[in-house]
Parts: sequence; C-alpha cells; structure tokens
Amino acid sequence: MSSKRAGHDPELLALDTGGTMTDAFVVDRQANYTVGKAQTTPEDESEGVIGSFGDALERWDAGVDTGSESLAGIVYSGTAMLNRLLEREGHGDIGVITNRGFEDSHRMGRGIQSWADLSYAGRLHAREHEHPEPIVPRENIRGVRGRTNMQGIDVIGLYEEEVREAVHDLLDQDVRVICVCLIYSYANPSQETRVREIATEVMEERGVDVPVWLSAEQNPVKGETPRLNTLVLEAYAVEPSREQLYGIRDAFEDRGAEAPFRVLSSSGGTVSPDHDWLAETMLSGPIGGVFGAEYLAEELGLSNLVCSDVGGTSFDVSLITEGHYPTRWDQSLAQFLVNIPMTALDSIGSGTGSYVRVDPASDRLEVGPDSAGYLVGVANEESGLETPTVTDCTAVLGYLNPDRFLGGDIPLDLDRAEAVLEEQVAGPLGEDLHETARGVLDVVERDMANELRSMVLGLGYSPENYHLVSYGGGGPLHAAGYTAPLDFKDVLVPDWAAAFSAFGCACADDAYRYDRSLDVILQPDRSNASEVADRLTEVFRGLREQAADAFERDGIDPAEMEFRPAIRAQYTGMLDDLEVRVPEGVWDGELDVEDLEAIIEKFEEEFGRVFKRAARSKENGYQVTMAVGTGVAPSPKPSLPQEETGRATPPEDASRGERPIYWAGDWHDAALWDMEALVPGNRVDGPAVVEAPATTMLVPPGYTAPLDEHRIYHLQEADR
Amino acid sequence: MSQQERRDDEPDVPNAEADPATSDAGLDVSDQKRAEAESVEPPIGWDGATLQEMLDESESQLEETGHYRGLDELSMKENDRFEYEQLFSRLRGALVSARETALHVSASPIVREIGELCFQVYTPEGDCVAVSTGIIVHVHTGSMAIKYMIEEDYEHDRTIQPGDVFCNNDNDLGNVHTTDVHTFVPIFHDGELVAWADGVTHEIDIGGMTRGHDQVASTNRHEDGLYATCEKIGENDRLYQDWKERGERGTRTPMYWDLDEKCRLAGCHLIRDAVHGMIDDAGIESFKQFMYEAVEEGQRTLNSRVEERLFPGTYREVSFADAPFEEEAWQPGSQQDMLNHLPVEIEVDADGGLALDMEGASPPGPHSFNAAEGSMEGGLWVSMTQCLLHDGKVNDGSYFAVDTHFPEGSVTNPQDPGLSYHTAWGTIIPTYQSVWTNLSRAFFARGFREEVVTGYSNTSDAVQGGGRLMKSFAETIPDAVGDYFPVGPFELSCQGLGASAVGDGLDYGYAMWNPESDLGDVEEWEEVQWGLMQLARSVKPNTAGHGKYRGGSGWEGVYTLMGSEDVSLYNLAQPNCAFDTSGMSGGYPGATRYSVRAHDTDLASRTVNEEPYPVGDSPPGSFEERIDGEITRTEHGLFWPEEFDNYDLLHYKMGGGPGWGDPLDRDVEKLIEDIEDGIFTPEIVENVYGVAGEHDADEREFTVDEDATEERQAEIRERRREESVPFEEFYEQERDRLQEGDYSDPVEWMYSGVFEQSAEWADFFREFWDLEGFRP
Repeated sequence: MSSKRAGHDPELLALDTGGTMTDAFVVDRQANYTVGKAQTTPEDESEGVIGSFGDALERWDAGVDTGSESLAGIVYSGTAMLNRLLEREGHGDIGVITNRGFEDSHRMGRGIQSWADLSYAGRLHAREHEHPEPIVPRENIRGVRGRTNMQGIDVIGLYEEEVREAVHDLLDQDVRVICVCLIYSYANPSQETRVREIATEVMEERGVDVPVWLSAEQNPVKGETPRLNTLVLEAYAVEPSREQLYGIRDAFEDRGAEAPFRVLSSSGGTVSPDHDWLAETMLSGPIGGVFGAEYLAEELGLSNLVCSDVGGTSFDVSLITEGHYPTRWDQSLAQFLVNIPMTALDSIGSGTGSYVRVDPASDRLEVGPDSAGYLVGVANEESGLETPTVTDCTAVLGYLNPDRFLGGDIPLDLDRAEAVLEEQVAGPLGEDLHETARGVLDVVERDMANELRSMVLGLGYSPENYHLVSYGGGGPLHAAGYTAPLDFKDVLVPDWAAAFSAFGCACADDAYRYDRSLDVILQPDRSNASEVADRLTEVFRGLREQAADAFERDGIDPAEMEFRPAIRAQYTGMLDDLEVRVPEGVWDGELDVEDLEAIIEKFEEEFGRVFKRAARSKENGYQVTMAVGTGVAPSPKPSLPQEETGRATPPEDASRGERPIYWAGDWHDAALWDMEALVPGNRVDGPAVVEAPATTMLVPPGYTAPLDEHRIYHLQEADR
Repeated sequence: MSQQERRDDEPDVPNAEADPATSDAGLDVSDQKRAEAESVEPPIGWDGATLQEMLDESESQLEETGHYRGLDELSMKENDRFEYEQLFSRLRGALVSARETALHVSASPIVREIGELCFQVYTPEGDCVAVSTGIIVHVHTGSMAIKYMIEEDYEHDRTIQPGDVFCNNDNDLGNVHTTDVHTFVPIFHDGELVAWADGVTHEIDIGGMTRGHDQVASTNRHEDGLYATCEKIGENDRLYQDWKERGERGTRTPMYWDLDEKCRLAGCHLIRDAVHGMIDDAGIESFKQFMYEAVEEGQRTLNSRVEERLFPGTYREVSFADAPFEEEAWQPGSQQDMLNHLPVEIEVDADGGLALDMEGASPPGPHSFNAAEGSMEGGLWVSMTQCLLHDGKVNDGSYFAVDTHFPEGSVTNPQDPGLSYHTAWGTIIPTYQSVWTNLSRAFFARGFREEVVTGYSNTSDAVQGGGRLMKSFAETIPDAVGDYFPVGPFELSCQGLGASAVGDGLDYGYAMWNPESDLGDVEEWEEVQWGLMQLARSVKPNTAGHGKYRGGSGWEGVYTLMGSEDVSLYNLAQPNCAFDTSGMSGGYPGATRYSVRAHDTDLASRTVNEEPYPVGDSPPGSFEERIDGEITRTEHGLFWPEEFDNYDLLHYKMGGGPGWGDPLDRDVEKLIEDIEDGIFTPEIVENVYGVAGEHDADEREFTVDEDATEERQAEIRERRREESVPFEEFYEQERDRLQEGDYSDPVEWMYSGVFEQSAEWADFFREFWDLEGFRP
C-alpha cells in the first residue's frame, strides 16, 4: 500500500477516536491508503472526526465533501465510553432493582474487582487491592423478594408490593433509568418482565416516564455480577455516546456521504448506532488488528495466523485458528466485571515505552509493567522523563533514526539516552552499555516469545502450525527478536503495520451477535438428543430473528443476512466451556439429531486439541451453556494491494545510506532503506533498517525480508 | 509407548501420544514422550550419583557454607545474566500457563472458582525452584514429600521411572491438610532425573467421616478420609486402574476427584514439556546450573528484602485459637472447650536474617486443627509473598533463608501420623495473624507505614456438607454426575483485611491463603450446590475492627434448601468466643462469629403470602422476627453436622479485619461514610468513637451533632482516665489472678498443655510473672 500516487476515490474510512487524538484511515478502490490526525473534540466528536478525515485527504489533494461522497463505508471505534468510565464522568442517576438481600452485590464486586486489573505482583500484594468506587450509590439500589432457580423455575414468587415500593423510592430519588437484574433471569426473564410491568403502572400513576432496562434483554448471560454491571455501564458510560455517534453520522451525511455509519464492537462486527444496546462497542480499538489479520488470513489463504501487536504500553497477542478468532466473556473493564463478548486478546505489559530499571535488592533487571507511553523515553528531551525505556535501548543500539523518529516529529537525543542507561542500568549491573541495552531487548522479546508460545500451546497447536503477522508501531522493530526462539511458518510484516489496527476496523463485517445462556444437557447415551436438538433449534430461531430485526431496522434486507450459529459447551460437571461453531451447511433453519451429532463431533475435536493431555470426559455427557447467533450482512472491504513484482535489488533512490547497529555482541554496518520507496519484489538483506514515518523494521544480520506483491515483507532467516 | 490401545468406553487419560485427535492432526508439540517411556536403571541422579547422595551432599554443603549447593557466587547469573533471567521467566511462565491451562481443562468447582491449584518445580533432591500463581502455600510441602521418597530409597526399591506418577496427601510427610492432594511427575533427561513437577489441588471431598473439605468433627487420622502416602499411582503417564478405583470409590464426589486428578496430571505434563524445551534450548548443563542458582538466589533475595524493608529487632506476639467443642463435639475425648496458644517470636537481624520461633505453642489435640511442619512453612510463604516477596520469586531458597522453629510435638509440628490434620488452617490462620503483626511492626519501624497489615478476618464461616437432589430434579442431571451435591462454597475467600497505618483495610475481599479472592456469582455456585439456595449477601454492620483506620468490613448471607433431601450441613468458624488477634496501636479486633439457624420453618407459606423472610441478622436478633420455626442461636459460630430439610434456613457471616490506632482519632468524615455505607451503626459509632448525630436510613444521610459529639468524646476520655491504672498495678492484679487461679477453664486447659509441652516456655512464664513453681 502506498500513499504516494494521485487520483484517489476514498472507499472506506476507519476512525479511531482516542482520548487526545482522532486517527482516520482511508483506503481507496486500488488499496492505496492515507492516514490523518486531528485533536479529539470530546464536546462534539464530529469536529475532530471530520478534521482528521480532512487531514488524511489532504495528502491526496482531496476535500472532505468529495471524499465523503465516494465512501462506501465508515467504521468508528473509540475510547470515549471507556474514558468516561475510567474518569468517572459518566451519567449518574441510575436506579437498580435487584433481589432483596443482594443490594450490596454491586459494591462487593465479588471481591475479585479489587484486584482484577492488577499486575502479577500487584495481585499477590494484598495491600494494593482496592474496590472500584461503585457506579450506583447504595441508596439507588433497591431489593425485592422473589427468586428464580437455575432451572428457571420461580421458586419464590415476586413480592409485587415490594416492587411497587422500590419503584416509588427510586422515582423519589429522581433516577433517569431503572436497571433490573434478578438472579437467574437469563434462564427465565418473567420476574424481571413483571418488575417492568409494575414499574410502568407506578409511573403512569405518578405521571412520569423513566426507561426500565432488563438484564435478560440486554444480555441474557450467566453471572449476575457482570450482568448487572454491563447493564449499569450501558446507562452510565455508553448511552451518553449515542448522541455523539448520531452527531458524527449527521456530519458525514451533511457532507454528502451515503455510506452507512457503523460502530465497531468488541465481538468483531460493526453495528449501527441505532442498535438497542451498545455496550459491546465499549472496547474496540485494540482489537481492530485482529479483524485485519482475519481478513489477511482469508485473502492469503492462511488457516492459522498469530496476530502480534507491539504498542507503546503493551504487547497484544491474538490467534486466528482455522480462520477464526476466539471470544471471551470473563473480562473486566476498569475493574468492573462485565459479560460483554470480546475478541480474545492477551496482553503483557511490555511495550516500547516500558520503563527499564534495576531492582537494588535482587540486582535484577526489571522491565515495565508501567510505561512512558507516548512520551517515548529519556531520548525525547521534551518528555521530562528520568527513567529509561525500551525505546531508549533500541535507540542506542542504532535501530532508530534519531532524526526521523515518528517522521521526525520527535528528535532523539542518543547521548542523553546513553548517559541515563549507563547511570541507572548498565552501571549498577556492572555490564557494558550496549550489551545491557541489547540484554533488555532480549528480556522483553523473550517475554513476548513466551507469551506467544504459551498462547499457541494453550490451544493445542505449536508455532510450526502458524504464520505470524507483526504490526503496531513497534512490531516490525521487534518481530525478528520475538519470533527467533519459535519456529513460525512465516513472519509477515505489512508495510502498513503502523496503521494495521485501523485497517482492521475497515475489514470488520456488519454483524449483530446475540448470546444466550442455556443449561441444556445431552445425556451420554443420547437418550434426549431429539429434545436437545429441538431446544437448540428454537433458541437459534429466536436469535436469528433478533439479528434479522436489527438489519431490517438498518434498512438492510434480512434475506441478505448470513446466520452463523454457535454453541458453547462443556462436558457435564466441568466449568469451562468451549465455543464451537455449528459446522458449515449444518444449519438450514433447524437442527436434527444428526446435526447435533455433527456439532458434538466438532466439540470433541476442539476439546481434544485444546486440552489434549487432560483428556475428554464423554462419559459425563455434554452441557450446552450458551447459544450464540451472529447475523452477518455483506459489507465493503478494503482490497489488498496487488502490484507487479520487480527485481530483488531495491531501487537506488530507496537507499538512505548506512548506520552501525549493535547485534549479537558486535557492531554491524546496516543498510538503511526508505520503506515507501521499496517496490514489490525487492529483497532487503540484513543487516538493514527499513524506515517509515510511523515504524521501523529491523532486518538483523543473517536475516532477509523480501517484499511481496501485496506490500507485505516476509522476515526470515537468510539460510532458511 | 506401549499402552496406546484403549477401549472406546474407557475414560481418556492425560496422554498426548495416545490421543487420536492429536495424532490425526499431526500437531504433537512434543517429541519427548518416547524418551520418557524408556526405563532407566539407578543411580538416576546427576553424574552417576544416587538421589540420596545428591541430597546428602546438598545438605552438607548448605550446612558448611550457608549457601545452597555451596554456591558462594552465582556465576551464571553474573556472567550470563540475560540467559539466566530468560530461563527464570520461562520456567515461571511455564508454571503459570500450566496452571491456567489445567484450570480450564477439567477442574472441579473449588479448584476452578477459587483457584485452589498450584504447580511447582523441584530439583532432583526436592528443593523448590519456582512456583506458579495460585495458593503459594505449597512451596515447601512437596519438597518434604520428595525428600521422604528419596530417604526411603524409592530410587532402588519402588523405583522412579520416566512416565511414573506419584501422589501424596499425608500431612505428616509434606502436605497442608488432608484435602490437598499432590501429584508428582519425575522429569528425566538422558537417563538422569533432572527435576520434579508437582501439582496440588484442594478437593471438595476426601472421603472423611463427614462431608466437607475442612472437617470440624474428625479427631484422628482414621476419621480424616483417604490418604495417599507418597504412593506410586501410575506409570508410562497413565494412572493405575486400582488407584483410580480407590479414589473414585473412596470419595463422595468421584467425578470431581477424577477431574482434579486429570487437571494436576495434565499440568505436570505441560511443565515436563516446558522443561524439556528449556533443556533443548539452553543445554542440560546450563539448566542444571540455573536451577541451583535460582534456589540460592531465592535465599539471597529474601535476605536483601528483609534488610531493605524490616527494622532489625526481636518482635513478639501471640495468637489464640479457640475450639469451643464442649457442647458440639461427638467423640467423648473432644467434648471440651479448648484454646490453643500460638506465640510467635520473629527476629530480624541487620544483615537480612529472619527467624521465626513458636516455642510455647500448645500440644496437638483431639481436633482437626493439628498442623504439620510443612503446612506451617506453607503459611509463611503465603504470607511473605503478600508483603515482602510479591514479585513472586519465592522458592526453597527463601525457606533456607528463614530459620524456623516449630517445636516438635506441638500443634505446629506434631510428628505424629495418627492425628487428624484435616483442618490445619485452624492453627495456621490464627498463627499468621501474629506473624503479620510482628512484620508490621518491623515495617512500621522502617517507615513503611503503608505496608502495615494489622491482621485479617479468619476465613470463616466455612459452611460445608452435602445432600441429594429430589428425584424429579435429579432426573435432569446425567447419571454420571449422580445426585449427590457437595456443599463447600468459597465465599469465605472474601473477608475483611486489617487496616494499615495509613488507611482502612480492604472490605469483603481478602483470604489470607489466596490474595486472588473471588466470591463467585450465585448463578455459578447454585449450579454446583444444586439444592442450596442463597437468599442474601449483604454487608454486615459492626464486623470491622475499630480504630483510627478501621479494618475491612465483613458481610452476611442466608441459605435455604429447596428440592433436596438427605442434607447435612455444618460450620467451621473462628474466632468463636476468644479473639485470635488484637488490633494494633489501639485498634480493635474484628467481630467474633456466632451462629443462627432455623429448622422446620414457615418459609414456604410466607413466600406464598408475600410475608418477609430473613435476608440477614442485622441487628442481631432480627433474623427470628421474619421466620417461625425452631431457632438455634449460639455464641460460637461452629456447629457439627446436622440435618437440614427443605425451607430450613442457615445464616452465615464473614468477618472484619482489625483496626489500627485510637478510634477517637478517626476522621469524622470517614465515620459519616461508615454509617452511610452501613459499615457501622450509629449507636456503635457513638459508643466507640463518641460521634453522635442523626441518621436518615432511607436516604443514607448522617448529620453530626457537634455538641453531643464533643460531650461524648469527653466522656470517653474521662472514663479512660478513670479506668487506667499504672502498669505495675495492672501487673500485680494479673499476678494475683494467676495465683488465685482466677481464669477460665479453656485458659487453664491451654496453659496446662503449654507447660507440659515446653519447659522452656514454662520457665519464661514463671520468670515473667515472678511465680516460682507456678503450675496452671
């Protein structure tokens, strides 16, 4: 992908509004891209968004109006909702009705919320644990007697008089929304529904109208603590963004855009801002790259692909296995347990900005987990930092161009980096400066490799079964290091690595995902197989209808929608389930006993692979814990660059001379290349450094990196 | 491997090679398995030594040089620092990820929800090199078991072969309590035993005399349940059939037993793979050197941390553990109110040396609270990792660095396999209150006020038992699961933590044995404890210990039963009638426990008529106002197994942590919050803190009456002045009481035992009170 050619019709726009900057990523029909930046404008996000889009188009000498008209899709992701939660600036006046006796559950947070987001050491260090400040104050939480059991039976009928009283109390408190979450409502929502009916009556009496939200409607998933939290977060942090989203949509429409405006969700699709519930869009930024990688895997015909993203604060890993990435529920947001399905992503606190220190007690090197983030390191004179970072180490080893870092925006002072590293790290350890800096990278990259290894092995595969794609600003710089101890099939570095996450957002499907907890048991002798098949059919039909309704609302013909059913299941008695997609072709509007067998076979296969050493327990039978239905409508996708390949030797005008780099205990003269000037077919032989405004690729001695027709480098050992 | 053929109906066992899915997919990640199956001839130690020779050499080197394996310098760490660090991070990473993978695999609720699962790697001579996350209490217990096997010459006699599996839960040989079960897998390389992998899980049931995982009723080994005494339970990576039969028939929850065993074994095999991978990459010699240096480094790290953070000196404190068994116990020998004496002296020297001495601890007794030496050591690691070593670099080096004295023949080191050790926590948890207090003083003296931990609430109420589902309900569950449901909720992992010297303790979120506490959702627990229904989980007022900084608050809950039969429940509680710890610097301890339960109730008819049923007992006594039936209310919290019918109710509670500093110094703003948050009631605040005012309970708004407050606080100060006596006077009064025998029966029981157990401590006592020849 190159941004250098003229005459572009922007086709897709991906937006990422961060706390300070809004990024825009624009692709045209020929797979050329351009990126723009503007200050985020929290009061009216549309300003920053349009500004950023305009900035991107400037590079193509185009204006926002003409640019908007040609767009086929706009995908938004952002951190506004999460920031609102982190900074406690959400909208209050939320009322909660829950079971009597459980009014304190929200603040107790299962205990786990006091340590959920801490590092390894923080988790052990009990003194650091602290509950997050509850979102809903205790006086706004009312309990009502009544109880549903795990089978969905109302074992204690709802105390309706208590409900009336609770509604009156909450209205007296001037709440603007009432969130209802009762235990086991996902198994039987009737008590929650009844609460709403009574509330409506009370409000009619009082002549007021306050929305009543039910947890069983938002997300009928097991776990009353995360279920209530998710509902409350929707009211506190998410709903306030809806108007912002409409504002952005209007701003594009005013400029002539006809493209649908969609919001990226953490489970992997995009949804309309009109969607009933938007909690799934709370955390979407960091996972964009995963969708990009999924798209890459599909286009390149790779079945297994490791996605590795090196950013300033963390190293994020996700796996695409047999074309799909897994989803998780057991996550927390700003310490609050939530039941939002999220693309599985593991993070370790090693990024390019991670601080480097020596622990005086153990005489050990420590990297992170805290990070200088965008301040880069002590080499950035304006940062005011005093503790060196990983980037300082890369800089003193010659891997970074001090005058062109981040396109020259941040000049690097190598002398300062060397002095600080010597004083704080190399000196105390009694080691050579450059050996120490390299050692720091070795430790960081080995941690990254360990993370990759354990994630791949944890799924029952080995690195030999996977390709790896490296992206993020720091990915191309560290890829050789963190992949060296492992034996991946191939290491891919797209030349748009720095913008890969945004590219990924543009790759996401239009999709609505609906989850529903179940407790359906298939007896080991299959004696109830047909009942189970009927039950699943009924549930999937319901989920399909929900998805179809959502598309209909968006003006998309549900007939165009593809429905993808999946279950989560476990051997009865176990507590961890696996997500298993219903094999292709099996769902034709209903499931029969044979279909069920095909799903179980898939489960067995998956379980055997993931947990092979632990063995299956089919003698216990199977428990289907959740039904997942995703409706997917066709949406425009960027296309991969497809360019003619030329000769292996890079053009002369791509050369930027030489610079010594430190590698394996010695200095080497590395060839320097301008990434944008390299053309497909070129082969960069190590030692070399390939520089682009937003990233740098290191090709160590003994490595080579041919650039293919899709503008993807294949970083490999030369003798391989 | 020879046993690849399996019948289809045979349960799978952890075995990568034998798994057809693996072979089909061609995805086997380890090519070590074949080598594992080859048998080896002794000696199996390094360089032609036997394990016994290695152990002897190691012990004498430590004795002679003070350094593990005589390593007076860490040459690999110093010369090849980055390689060394990489090996360490890889080994620990492997342990953590083995634990996580194994957790997902096939664990019973108690393991899965509470994370009662821990993995360790040991040197061939049985010294722990690294430990996973989880309950770090097991660092040294596995070590003792391995050393036992070495000393009993398993090498030649029983034989230790690649692919073998061993099991131990005999506390006397190295275990915390009976329901913790260890699986050991020896790891070989080229005919030598290079390391041991060990996985521990806590079982929900071990086939003891009563249902439950921390029995209160057992008084000797024969009532504890199933014991494996360093047994070989499998070979070629497969468990013996007779072992499996024994476990599954010997426990009430055979499926959980099976799942947990698979989980431990799977984890050990993952670790074995990881060790092989490390040896392949680093070379065997480097790996061996690394293991030894890591242990020695553990010792040095502990010393430097102590030197850096603790002020040198001798610190003393005592804990008490009550066992009010007179009304409750079944066996005649146990029917007495007992009190265990648990004194702790900690010595911090200026060079980072640390010693822990429990001379004067009570003798063991006819209860389940007897704690083997290994379990007491375990308590030390689980505490130290939370205050000094939370970067997780804990191993047996730390053990070597601390000079511990758990007196032989005491409740902390009975050396008697015939005792009951089922609930050793009944001794460990109170003991470490004193350890924390002592360390806190040493932190405080160094200026680390924020590291002070005044103590914690003991993890009780531990409600336990089990029952069966009624037929109609049971029919919905697969036959393999049976209709028996164990009761062992781990809500007790959320207690109040003690205050620090700068702030309040953590509310409802702490368990001393696992800082990663998790209450679990009701919707999770009821899927396991089928018949047991939860009717409440609420913050319980007045459980937190008072002080300038208060302890964390406890909470309370109510259970009932529905759709079940043959249910028995009991409760293990501490402290009951005697505080196990005090607050610090004028702070109060948290509240003690009590019990309320209702049988033969009118719950069913109440719910039909929308009449209120109890969702707590605050203020105490209000429970009975909302239910009719046969009510039992006792001052002690523990009670022995009793039958519960559907609609019976059981109230339980979790405690608060101790406070720090004089309550009169507490910020009024904080007290307003305490009242509005329901941590304390206004009456208690007025009594203890002298802060008076009006409380609007509905709006949760408290308004301070400044004049009344001034008056109340003056009254409290005045009363203090009146009641205070000079120390000499107090000493004389107490001395008189001793001479007159003016103390309770449990206190007499306690001191009689201690005097019998320790002449040294008896002498100290007589000397302190200047009472020559005194006997309780």
